[in-house]
Amino acid sequence: MTAGQDGRAFLVLDGLTRRFSGRPAVDGVSLSIPEGEFFTIVGPSGSGKSTLIRMLAGLERPDAGRILLRGADITAMPANRRPTCMVFQSLALFSHRSVGENIAFALKMRGVDAATRRARALELMELVRLPADYLDRPVTQCSGGERQRVALARALASDPEILFFDEPLSAIDYRLRKILEMEMKDLHARTGKTFLYITHSLEEAMVMSDRIAIMRAGRIVQIGPPREIYARPNSRFVAEFMGEVNVFAVRGGRIEGLDRPAAAQSGFLILRPEALRPLGPADHADVSFPARIETGYLLGSRSQLHLSALGRRLVAELPGAAAAELRPGQEGRWGFDLADAVVTPE
Amino acid sequence: MMRARGWLAALPMLTLLAAGFAAPIAIVAVTSLMPPRTFSLTGALALSNYLAAFTEGYWRPLMWSALGALATTAICLVLAWPTANALMRLGGRVATLVAILIALPIFISESVRLFGLSLFLMPGGGILAGTLNELFGIRIGSILNTRLAALIGLVYIHFPFVLFPLMLGLGLVPRDQVEAARDLGASGWQLFREIEAPLAAPGAAIGAMLCFVLALGANAEAAILGGRAVTVATQAIEQRFSYAQDWPQGAALTMLLVLITALVVIPLLRRVDLDRLIGR
Repeated sequence: MTAGQDGRAFLVLDGLTRRFSGRPAVDGVSLSIPEGEFFTIVGPSGSGKSTLIRMLAGLERPDAGRILLRGADITAMPANRRPTCMVFQSLALFSHRSVGENIAFALKMRGVDAATRRARALELMELVRLPADYLDRPVTQCSGGERQRVALARALASDPEILFFDEPLSAIDYRLRKILEMEMKDLHARTGKTFLYITHSLEEAMVMSDRIAIMRAGRIVQIGPPREIYARPNSRFVAEFMGEVNVFAVRGGRIEGLDRPAAAQSGFLILRPEALRPLGPADHADVSFPARIETGYLLGSRSQLHLSALGRRLVAELPGAAAAELRPGQEGRWGFDLADAVVTPE
Repeated sequence: MMRARGWLAALPMLTLLAAGFAAPIAIVAVTSLMPPRTFSLTGALALSNYLAAFTEGYWRPLMWSALGALATTAICLVLAWPTANALMRLGGRVATLVAILIALPIFISESVRLFGLSLFLMPGGGILAGTLNELFGIRIGSILNTRLAALIGLVYIHFPFVLFPLMLGLGLVPRDQVEAARDLGASGWQLFREIEAPLAAPGAAIGAMLCFVLALGANAEAAILGGRAVTVATQAIEQRFSYAQDWPQGAALTMLLVLITALVVIPLLRRVDLDRLIGR
């Protein structure tokens, strides 16, 4: 999927703003999302991403700006009339209703008869891989993963134009989250619906999304495909979101600590841990320096090493095999190529 | 060991309930089975007083009390639901102030408040009629001394007993479930029927129960605002005990009132999860 400026603009946010007691929580956000895209907004807590998605679902009224769906202005449309549906962070399953009743809720609201509702609930349960005998089970008796699936099926039941997700996986343990991330991506492919997902985990966003927007203090700071966000962060904030990086300040056109000219007057040189490598006697790198290995951690297939070099600490990551003979305390020459580093203006 | 301790801790309360609640009820129950107009508890047991309750017209006050209590409960629920919702939504200082204003009159004698209401409704020189006449030249009659006035009094007195438990009940309705229902297309009425009503039911049931029981035993409203338009059960019972000196008949009517109360309260209490309401 590509950016939405190609005339297929499906969901358009135009200068969307929401203030809480004068302070903007969402500050003039403009976005364009094409139909069928898996679009994820990533930001730390308090960045305004939840307020943004609540405005899109109609649960919060914007102070300024417009929301257009297929060209129609839905800014003032109440939540129950919007052809959108949300999976809540808490899931918000109806605790006094069964699995089937939860899933078919939207259909009941539309006056669909009981037999049809039941049949549709069973179809959706199959789609999200819930056993059919769960139909009459109270949702309170379901496990975390099952509740997740009920929430997904319930949101899909109304056949919405867009599905919103407000950090639905944040309270789930790592292993199950990984499985559900894959299922979510798979569900997106199978339904062809537009997914707008919110999370504080860039890692989660990378796995699932066609495009990612990074949000900070109510504004979108970068939008792009996962690969681009990872390889070309436009600020130190975006770069550090993914995990540990090595940051060198750039002042007066020079990289501090390396004494080299930089591609910009000021900003930061961002170096991902995997760009650093140990150098043998015959190896060459744009930048090289002596370093001492302080500590090493095995991260499954990769190893993370903390180096002491250039009067500071650097983080390096190597494939397991390459790190096999490296031990804490070893000294040697390390380096990287400037093409593997990014200079950001802020 | 723990069980024994529990009983020991419950002893003062059990004693109080036995002496103050169970014993008087037992005495009234036995009295109701005595021959008419006797004062002994040792006569031959008979159901004649209960028979008389239905053949000699005592069913009318019982019916008026039951109908009045039902109507009061229904009206209070209808009025309290939007009020409670508005107060919950309002939140903060204003909501507290309004809640205090609603609760404050409870601390003033019921009769004083009812006499106030009667001054308000009085014909001619009454506050409502007098003001309308003086300011707008409108002359109105008065509903004082009618069943309607008694009903208005019942609603006025018992409204807070429905409102506050209901607010407690509405507090149990998770905000996110309300939002999810909205998001899934529920209209205002559907939201009430599918989410709010079932989830706030414990609070509504407690409020309705309090209101019904209190209104069933109320007589000041009928006496002060209803005039002679209606005789309620408690008034009839009082007459049997005092003027008529027919204690067994009074006792039988009392037992019937207890029976009506039990028929309403016991099924409700069985269905309401009290633990959920007090947050256990």
